[in-house]
Amino acid sequence: MLNHILSAFRTYMHGDGAVVLPEMQLLLFAIGTLAMDSWAANTPNEKPASSPVFQQNYWNPAIALAGIAFSGLTLWILRARIRQAGELAGFHLTLMVDGYFVFFSALLLAATALVILLSVNFATMSAARQGRYYALLLFACISMMLMVSAVDLLVIFLAVEAAAISAYFLAATPGLSNRTPSAAVRFLLSSALGSALVAYAFSLLYGLSGASNISQIAEALARRHNVAKVITLSHQSGPQGSQMLQLLQSRLPEAVHWHAFTLEALPIAAFTLLSVGIILKFAVPPFQPEFNRANTETDLGILSPVILYLSGMYAIAVVALLLRSMFTIFADSQDIWWHIVAALAIGGISYGVLASLRQTNLERVIVYLSIAHMGYVLLGVVAANEAAATAMTYYLFTYLFIVTGVFGVLIVLRGQNTFSAALTDLSGLRRRSPVTALLLIIFVLSLGGAPPTAGFFGRYFIFHSLLESGHRYIAWFVVLSSLPLAYSYLRIAVYAWRGNKSETETVPVAFGVPEAIVLGICVFVSLAAGLYSEPFTRMARYAFGQ
Amino acid sequence: MLPITHYLFLSFALFFIGLAGVVIRHNLIVNLFSMDIILNAASINFVAFSRLYGDASGQVFAMLAVVMLALELLVALAIIAAVCSRWKCATPDEEKDLSSQLDY
Repeated sequence: MLNHILSAFRTYMHGDGAVVLPEMQLLLFAIGTLAMDSWAANTPNEKPASSPVFQQNYWNPAIALAGIAFSGLTLWILRARIRQAGELAGFHLTLMVDGYFVFFSALLLAATALVILLSVNFATMSAARQGRYYALLLFACISMMLMVSAVDLLVIFLAVEAAAISAYFLAATPGLSNRTPSAAVRFLLSSALGSALVAYAFSLLYGLSGASNISQIAEALARRHNVAKVITLSHQSGPQGSQMLQLLQSRLPEAVHWHAFTLEALPIAAFTLLSVGIILKFAVPPFQPEFNRANTETDLGILSPVILYLSGMYAIAVVALLLRSMFTIFADSQDIWWHIVAALAIGGISYGVLASLRQTNLERVIVYLSIAHMGYVLLGVVAANEAAATAMTYYLFTYLFIVTGVFGVLIVLRGQNTFSAALTDLSGLRRRSPVTALLLIIFVLSLGGAPPTAGFFGRYFIFHSLLESGHRYIAWFVVLSSLPLAYSYLRIAVYAWRGNKSETETVPVAFGVPEAIVLGICVFVSLAAGLYSEPFTRMARYAFGQ
Repeated sequence: MLPITHYLFLSFALFFIGLAGVVIRHNLIVNLFSMDIILNAASINFVAFSRLYGDASGQVFAMLAVVMLALELLVALAIIAAVCSRWKCATPDEEKDLSSQLDY
């Protein structure tokens, strides 16, 4: 009996289980974090929520980090396994482990580890909620890894919803101060609308193909697109047109009377809904002050590590899903829908850049400009050649580390309890702590696109791929829009470097060990990926199987 | 079974009604239920296509959509409860309607 159970378990772990093993390990450690939290909460030592000093329980982040380490080790082993086999699929071909999954899962695990390290000493988190917070971060990482590995509409939808629900809870995690969670509520509304649009788009895709696996949907859509192309060609005069007409009459006689527009309308509608829905999930218009009639506070109402998580990890996972769906499902009709993506991307870039020019809050500037960065990544989809694939994944990789660096500096400054994330609070930073000011300036210059840093090369690769594929005007738009983007970032740098004497000038800036580790890693990536980018571009190419 | 276009038009109509509700109305709960309408439009699509192709995954998806919607409403209500405990609107009494307090 025991042998039977063990052999069934072993078969599972070699087959389907291997596909989800990283997620399963993270899940175990997340449950362990919750168990540890409830065990530690039984000790009657909880300080009241209004106390400025909170009692740190170091077991929770330690268990979470151990889970990430194990999961990363499993990913490494999976990487060796798929080097021979090419890819692994499991659960009736609904989950796939390939280079794309390994790259993005590794990136998500690294991002989660960085966010955990930054939250360890984050002073405004109340003690009672720590275990749930770390477990939620791990649950979110699990669902985002599933999102990247899913190749079936059902599983994609489930994973997207699970990630979104974890994000809602994280956004609504209260801190010590009594901030109203109105931004969290608006994030929920925008993200839920995005989910509804995505569900509708999936229903159209399912109807167009009768299958829920995205490769089968891709085949059905490709056939449809080919028929539409032949119909369009057959309407032209000349020998080629009549040849196409004869082809149609012999192979598909009823299609002679069809219009290409009706054939392409539903796929394009599905594509538009899918893109808009996914973009709504991270582009988060609810952060806008214009939507909030009573915005008198300078804070966003969401904890800083969670804002980092939302504008970094979550945005990247969602964009990874969008890229996979664009490149797999809609691959063949790219010559039709690139206009939609270009319009969305250009709109997003303009919106992010223009809105950030007016902001006086550091967190808001970074969040608005994250929309612009994701717009640049989407412009790589417009280019759609090999250089563009490398450019997009390189951009996402470096963007994550640089944004984590900026928020790392912000979180270190928030530890002083005198910092409210307004830009004017940054003044005099150079005199308080030259190291912090220098780090902030490096990160901010990198995001703005200064040449020896990684941010410049990301945008340059995208510009280059756009030129190569012939989209000259969009390429020039990339260059021109980088100017106001750089201005927004340079404003931050100028505040940190110059600045008048403020009353907080004598308060020194203290780094804890976790923040130092995070900032070290981030500054290394943002400089090294620019100065010597070959290993990083090789990693980026691995994501697309090269 | 009716021609598939009938079901498609019904779900399009529901989709646009839901979208209009989300865009125009600012009340929190009305917003959430308008998203409910969009998701139900998607479910109608799924079930209709499942009948057309004889494939069961459409119906599975419809069930999943309902479950997901219920979960999202649960999370939204949990967050609203946290909001209300802060804004001191504990129970909806006759003078103050809960949904009118949630204009954002």
